[in-house]
Amino acid sequence: MDRRIKSHPILEFEGEETVTFYFEGTPLRAKPSDTIASALIANGIDIFGWTEKGRARGFFCAIGKCSSCLVVVNGTPNIRACITKVKEGMKVERQIGRGMPLWEEKQ
Amino acid sequence: MKEYRVCIIGGGIIGTSIAFHLAKLGERRVAVFERSYISSGATGRCGGGIRQQWSARMNVRLAMRSVKLFERFEKDAGFDIEYRQGGYLLMAFTEEEAERFERNVKMQREEGLDVEILSPKMVKERYPFINTENLILATFCQTDGHANPHLANFGYAFAARRLGVDIYTHAEVKDIIVQNGSVMGIESSIGSFKCDVVVNAAGAWSKEVGKMAGIDIPTTSYRHQIFVTESLRDFFPFMAISFDGNFYIRQTKHGQMIMGQGDPNEKPGVNRNVTYEFLKSMSEKMTKIFPFLENVRILRQWAGCYNMSPDAQPIVGCSKKVNGFCYAAGFSGHGFMLAPAVGEALAELIIKGSTEHVDISFLDIDRFEKGEVEIEGNVV
Amino acid sequence: MKTKLLIVGGGPAGLSGAIAAAESGVDVLVVDEGLELGGQLVKQTHKFFGHQGFFASKRGVEIAKILKNRIEELGVKYMLQTTLVGFYEDTAVAYSREEDKTYEIDYDYVLLATGASEKFLVFKNNMLPGVYGAGAVQTLMNQYGVLPGEDFLIIGAGNIGLIVAYQIAQAGGNVRAIVEISDKVGGYEVHANKIRRMGIPILLRHTIIKAIGKDRVKGAVIAKVDENFKVIEGTEREIVADTICLAVGLQPSIELASQLGVEMVYIPELGGHVPKRDENMRTSKRNIFVAGDLSGIEEATSAMAEGYIAGYTIAQDITGKDLSEKINKYKEELADLRRGPFGKKVRSGLEKMGIVLPSGGYRTDLQKDFGPAGKLRAVMECHQNIPCNPCEAVCPTNAINMGGNINGIPHINYDKCVGCMMCVMKCPGLAIFMVQEFDEYSVVGIPYEFEPLPNVGDKVILMDRNGEDVGEGVIQRVIKNRKDKTHVVYVAMEKGLERTVRHFRVPSDEEDEIVCRCEEVTKRDVEKAIDMGFTDFEELRRYLRIGMGPCGGRTCRLITMGILARKTGKSMEEISNMNLRPPSIPISFGSILRGEKE
Repeated sequence: MDRRIKSHPILEFEGEETVTFYFEGTPLRAKPSDTIASALIANGIDIFGWTEKGRARGFFCAIGKCSSCLVVVNGTPNIRACITKVKEGMKVERQIGRGMPLWEEKQ
Repeated sequence: MKEYRVCIIGGGIIGTSIAFHLAKLGERRVAVFERSYISSGATGRCGGGIRQQWSARMNVRLAMRSVKLFERFEKDAGFDIEYRQGGYLLMAFTEEEAERFERNVKMQREEGLDVEILSPKMVKERYPFINTENLILATFCQTDGHANPHLANFGYAFAARRLGVDIYTHAEVKDIIVQNGSVMGIESSIGSFKCDVVVNAAGAWSKEVGKMAGIDIPTTSYRHQIFVTESLRDFFPFMAISFDGNFYIRQTKHGQMIMGQGDPNEKPGVNRNVTYEFLKSMSEKMTKIFPFLENVRILRQWAGCYNMSPDAQPIVGCSKKVNGFCYAAGFSGHGFMLAPAVGEALAELIIKGSTEHVDISFLDIDRFEKGEVEIEGNVV
Repeated sequence: MKTKLLIVGGGPAGLSGAIAAAESGVDVLVVDEGLELGGQLVKQTHKFFGHQGFFASKRGVEIAKILKNRIEELGVKYMLQTTLVGFYEDTAVAYSREEDKTYEIDYDYVLLATGASEKFLVFKNNMLPGVYGAGAVQTLMNQYGVLPGEDFLIIGAGNIGLIVAYQIAQAGGNVRAIVEISDKVGGYEVHANKIRRMGIPILLRHTIIKAIGKDRVKGAVIAKVDENFKVIEGTEREIVADTICLAVGLQPSIELASQLGVEMVYIPELGGHVPKRDENMRTSKRNIFVAGDLSGIEEATSAMAEGYIAGYTIAQDITGKDLSEKINKYKEELADLRRGPFGKKVRSGLEKMGIVLPSGGYRTDLQKDFGPAGKLRAVMECHQNIPCNPCEAVCPTNAINMGGNINGIPHINYDKCVGCMMCVMKCPGLAIFMVQEFDEYSVVGIPYEFEPLPNVGDKVILMDRNGEDVGEGVIQRVIKNRKDKTHVVYVAMEKGLERTVRHFRVPSDEEDEIVCRCEEVTKRDVEKAIDMGFTDFEELRRYLRIGMGPCGGRTCRLITMGILARKTGKSMEEISNMNLRPPSIPISFGSILRGEKE
């Protein structure tokens, strides 16, 4: 599903979908100006994760003020999708409940 | 007299792809001459499959490049062509075919293509609506797929026109003017035009157009019939094909099942009538493998021509005998799917003198003189 | 990092404050969380009210650019994607998301312009994906070019709800309804009128009871409420929608003000808890100022005025220069902006802080005169006292006047109006129309901001102020306004309708004339394809799939050829070189298998 606005009476939306990122392993396209949230919604994905109690969670405030849009990015949980820019090769996963922190094993 | 740099004969997918790619490279002094309407020839009559699983390496390369270009078709040409990468299932019903497939897959993988080999059981699990009795094995490539050939043809034509290319329909080229071994122009039903380059993209009529420039294009045209059914729910995302089984089938975006087969007894020539014999043999064969078809109704049947080359591979290049005479012909039933890459390569060859994306030198006509011929086996 | 003035928030208030201070020679650092400067302006595609000094009739996105350019000209430093996380006793700390590191900031003065955040609303299933803040949807649509759904339900008919509904329609979405719990529209009437004349219902005294859906929104249950906002049982009904936008108000973002220890007051008229401050925007602490929505929920125009007042006052403190002239000018502007009926809430809120502002003193009577019939002229449908005057300012013949105060109701002197329609293109409320009566018919010029623009000769359905269909009309002229994009579309209609018709719509497919039943191709589809350049019947057939359905072209073939002949001027003989294909009716595979040869 492509939810990008194709033509608009007032605005022109610049940029091409040149970025590839992965959502749950599936490659998706995004514009360099996209946040993770705008790229996911543009691709028709509304469910960003599930709460601890099993409720579906998604986008809500768009300005990083609520906790609705938390996702796991490259293994790191609790990333606010609405204010984090999408990057080439980024691996985004739905966050289920509380995220598991990521650390490197030290020898 | 109106002047162009390049005059293209044929307004099918090949001619319009070349025109579009020439214009994209900045050459706008281009005209397309179509003696009927856009997509009136083989393009508008084909099955619309887009496949990379070939037996000849060159075809794999061309097809892989084409897939890249189909993926960005809508962006490049501004036209939705109902492109879907639902995969292609190649089905082998004989041991010899199965062995050939295994060899092909090895080569395809060397070329970087992601192909799976599936046992009949795996096929059944994935697609329970297929009767896998007598199936030896199948191969599957997810990035293969299909598109609507009319829309792709219109897409290239409209995009080329937007970039400044003139597209003349109902304009038949009668002769190519060659002086001192060089192309000077063309004569057509709408007048004479000067040009430096003529491209023969005349599909079923490529041999006749070749003669106009004094070049023998070793192609022969054969009728192929095809039909569509009424619309069904979207459940058949891939295209299925078998060479020894002699059929192909897919579902269009609008839900119709479209399918066809080749007829080994077909006589050469441009014949676009249809036969009931074809419907009968298809009905018998297809309901065995796809039992769900039994109660599905057939809506419409038609025919088009394969323009066959001696090795079932396309003949693409520019003549070394007549300066300025280029050709893209003999696609042997798979011109639609190769059109993006061929259009791009030939445009590069004409503008820059060499290709940038896919080396097509092997497809030149002189391979037949040199005897370097590898016959493509994956053709229905 | 060291700065004289630290401004938190790069929206209209913060940037105006930065401009005022930097112009006066103060070293300024702006810290903002967003990806670009401008705050909420970057997603505002509607034209602003006010006067030219405050960019009236410009769209928010353009104002953001103007402010940003000025900031850069003045050499103001700014940090984006950076959040001021704490005002500690020892230092202020900002966190840069992009660099993933913190900065300590040493400052003399602080201007807090942190704005506001959207209020949430409690109803069943309100956490489902698809329930979004209205401002969030605006951000997605207007900043990222993504429309998050197809069918929208808007909760709240304040200005944000009304504006977002209009913008969703501009972006191609369907607004099913606006639900408003009170008995009147909270936003400007001109904004509501834009919505109503498109036929979008504004359901007053209604509320949302629950969102329907398992993993995402599929619809909503709404119901009527009584005077006490209690749901009236038995009035519940379902609305199909995939997106529910909450536009139920804003709350000031007071966290940093609180950390700084300035005195806070609770004033519902200003949006709840706000920092107490004086006329110069100074809080209870000498070096801490506030401006914009943080100091009371209002509009971008007043936010800018407050930003200037704060910026100049701070500059006066730091530099010792006398800037009272500039400060007083903005105070007067601000007083004027708040003088009318829409300023009443803010006036009474500020009064609780001891700030008393004037009210009244502007024209309130409506113009009764519809102008001389037969003359091409503008008619005004601006019936509320809004502080706004671009129509008066743009009129080249001084035919329009507000009666001496920007809050006045505009009147037109029809002896002077020359029918130039500049006021129609300028009016931020799209509340001015053109009319002209002829002997046989009348023409109405309608401000139009949708895509695609209709073509001359198109048949359209005429709509009244409530979005009801009142007849058919024909597009007569389309005046394109490339610069600020409010186009004027002239529609010819039956005489007498010019007083009723205020909008039109292109007939939709449902009621369109079907040419091909199998593939549901409409007459309009055929005409559009011919206009695109498909002038050959066979090409047209392949493009539109006419005749590719089970009927085999029986219903559609001749009609299509007729349309093609009419539009291209070709004769039927020229067109009809058709090629009809077997089987002539659909036959099943099975019937062929069971076939007999003899």
